Amino acid sequence: MRLGRYELTLEPRPAVSAVYTVLTAVVAILLALALSSFLFLSADASLLGAYRAVFSYAFFNPRGILATVQRAIYLLFCTYAFLVPLRAGLWNIGLPGQVFAGALAAFAVPFVLRAQEQTLALPPGLLILLMVAAAAAAGAMLGGFAGLLRARLQVNEILVTMMLNSILFWLVAYMIKEGGPFMGATAEGEGFTLPAPLTAPLLRGVPFTAALALGAAVLLDLLFAKTALGYRIRAFGENPAAARYGGISPVALSLLVFLLGGAFAGLAGYHAFTAVPGVYKIPGNYGFYGDLAFYGIISALIARGSAVGAVPIAVLFAGLSLGARFAQGALHLPFGVDYALLGLLMMTFIASHALYQFRLAWRRVPSEVLQPAPTELPEG
Amino acid sequence: MPLTLPADRAPAEPILAARGITKRFPGVLALDHVDFEVQAGEVHAVLGQNGAGKTTLMNILFGLVQPDEGGLYLRGQRVHFRSPHDAIAQGIGMVHQTRRLVSAHTVLENIVLGHPRVRGFLNLRGARREVEALCHRYGFTVDLGARVWQLSEGERQWVEILKALYGGAKILILDEPTSVLTPPEVKTLLAGLQALVRDRGVTVLLVTHKLPVVMAASHRVTVFRSGSVVARLRTGEATEEILVQHMIGREVAFRTADRSTETGRPLLHVEQLSAFNDRGLLALRGVSFSLRAGEVLGVAGVTGNGQEELAQVLAGLRPATSGKVRFDDRDVTHLSPLERWRMGVGYIPAERIEVASIAAFSLVENTALNYHFDPAFTPRGLLDDAGLDQLTRRILSAYNVKAPHQYARARHLSGGNLQRLILGRVLSRRPRLLIAHLPTQGLDVEATAFVRAKLLDARAEGAAVLLISEDLDEILSLSDWVAPIYEGRFVAVLLREQADSETVGAMMAGLQKEAGAR
Repeated sequence: MRLGRYELTLEPRPAVSAVYTVLTAVVAILLALALSSFLFLSADASLLGAYRAVFSYAFFNPRGILATVQRAIYLLFCTYAFLVPLRAGLWNIGLPGQVFAGALAAFAVPFVLRAQEQTLALPPGLLILLMVAAAAAAGAMLGGFAGLLRARLQVNEILVTMMLNSILFWLVAYMIKEGGPFMGATAEGEGFTLPAPLTAPLLRGVPFTAALALGAAVLLDLLFAKTALGYRIRAFGENPAAARYGGISPVALSLLVFLLGGAFAGLAGYHAFTAVPGVYKIPGNYGFYGDLAFYGIISALIARGSAVGAVPIAVLFAGLSLGARFAQGALHLPFGVDYALLGLLMMTFIASHALYQFRLAWRRVPSEVLQPAPTELPEG
Repeated sequence: MPLTLPADRAPAEPILAARGITKRFPGVLALDHVDFEVQAGEVHAVLGQNGAGKTTLMNILFGLVQPDEGGLYLRGQRVHFRSPHDAIAQGIGMVHQTRRLVSAHTVLENIVLGHPRVRGFLNLRGARREVEALCHRYGFTVDLGARVWQLSEGERQWVEILKALYGGAKILILDEPTSVLTPPEVKTLLAGLQALVRDRGVTVLLVTHKLPVVMAASHRVTVFRSGSVVARLRTGEATEEILVQHMIGREVAFRTADRSTETGRPLLHVEQLSAFNDRGLLALRGVSFSLRAGEVLGVAGVTGNGQEELAQVLAGLRPATSGKVRFDDRDVTHLSPLERWRMGVGYIPAERIEVASIAAFSLVENTALNYHFDPAFTPRGLLDDAGLDQLTRRILSAYNVKAPHQYARARHLSGGNLQRLILGRVLSRRPRLLIAHLPTQGLDVEATAFVRAKLLDARAEGAAVLLISEDLDEILSLSDWVAPIYEGRFVAVLLREQADSETVGAMMAGLQKEAGAR
């Protein structure tokens, strides 16, 4: 764009410092919050009061903080489930299905061992370990199915994982609704309640899955940065033809990232239904958790593939969605304010990517380029 | 059987002429004061090697490229083509080397697409009648309702020709029309073109580097070499030998490899190797040879004759449909690329950016592409960053790679520097078999000399080198054996002493095909 003697162009940034990365994220958050004022104002709520309600519940209220942590853990596992295949250039859209598979497998352990009848066949610690392993394995199997189809037959992984979401959604419905094997005692369209000894152990209200989620963040980033396997995944993601040339097997790699991603989604399923106080069963509104899983995609994309970078983003998403939900009830805001806020955040984050990769450059146009404009019309 | 012009037709005013055309691209003089004439109602062959300037001139005639100097004349009138629209409006049609059809649409929809009269609503019924009339007039039989993806390559070509004729073309430019066709399809195409010219007065410009096509289907031929016209002949008065001489030129500089080194034991045996290309056509058709340590086999051919497939099959990146590869007394036909790299095979692909490097990765990470499986560089599964860093810096200095530092992204390297890096990376593994595909393509003189010297160094150190190139000078100066390749077969495997540029050039262009193993 030419403005007088200056030219304004959008050009790629050569290198981006970490400070700048954080700065763009902060600006994006502030912008989203500023835009959400319109939401609050349109509902005739006091602006300050609305923000206070959102933040105080999400990050300062003792109950709210715990809820934020629980939801952040869930989102983090979903983030990893998307992030690992993404680094290999593959899109795992099957997070809900893999979450449900993980949940079903976790509840299958006490079901098979008849543990819901309060007579534990095995020590609870071992059973919990089995439940975690079963959840991860089930998620991995479902992911691996898509990975295998992709690797062997070039079937689009996005389609396969999407379809599996639907299949698993209805499988869960069959399992927990009236007459289903996992039906709860009250038969109100919910799964059976986990016996107390089998619920995930808590420390100050925080389940052990928090340690798993944070540990996985560090390990994943180390995997990608330092190991030969991580190198292969990244190489395949950047340029599959070059990776093949480098001796990397596309079949093995596609399968591996989907196994790993699916396992993380399975853990998310384990966490959501066996580790959150007040749930401890597959509830009737389990579909909500499936929808929530998709925020893992957003946070992985915003974190630019860094698992550790996704931690604050997942916490923010968790907190704002819960806080907005709370504010909606407390201040009688219109329905859906929480989703609107998340949507705004998503948009500003994605918009900030343009400024992250490009910069506006002001340049003085050299005078010889500027044609002297005729000051008078020629005769005739 | 060369064609002759009807005797009663005197060489009249040309229907289309280009005079004094010069075109420069950055760093290249693509066309140097070229004069070119086409008579009405002839098949005019435009012959030349890759990079001779044929396609550039055709693009100028079709309005895709504007000349820096010179002008175009249509029936004696000076014309300016600002875009292909202008050329089409004047009755010029072009069928490009790569198909430009919408494969999910029907033949009819493709023919009608982009026609100037089709604006807003589509009158397919009316168009169908017109196209059917056109088909009838030209004697084509194409199912207008078929989807393009259902057609063979030959049929798709006809659809493009039909599209050009429907657009009102009287002069038809065909750029390498036979390159993707099977031999029977070629025969059909050429016969059809002759009928168009003979019965319908269409003028055809046939751009090719294949001599049999020129001899079989053209009335006259213009030969290009390095951006200039070097010969204008009646096909009936030309022989394939004369055309080869014009195409390749006489002044060939020889710089042969030092032949004093003893050749070692047999390392590579290839028997009757065949492979499909990406389109599912048999592109490599029963190639056999063997290669000793310390020898260079130069595979000479025009791109698209099976070289790519040969290199990829030997590297394990493409399955062989039949035949056998033995390396180091072991059947490696079905081994993965990784297993071959571990056995000491090195591969320099033709596609530097697409295949041989990762643009977004640093130079160190690009080095790791050939080392991530090497136990010495991956202790306990971790990448040895320090070791790779050191290795990369050694490669940068030994191979004169001009880069700011070893953590610069590969995308910031120029083509020549990238190729030096790839070469250094592959040679640093000291391969016993080196497959080098177009190793100097697009490089400047200095980089070319450097790459060639390094290939000879590898040979001197006892590597068996398979050099695949279009550049006859390169093949002749580096090779111990020369194998011209044409349509997926080695026409012959010659000792360097028996190979001169005329013989090899003729074989590359499909002459003396009978001499090869058929």
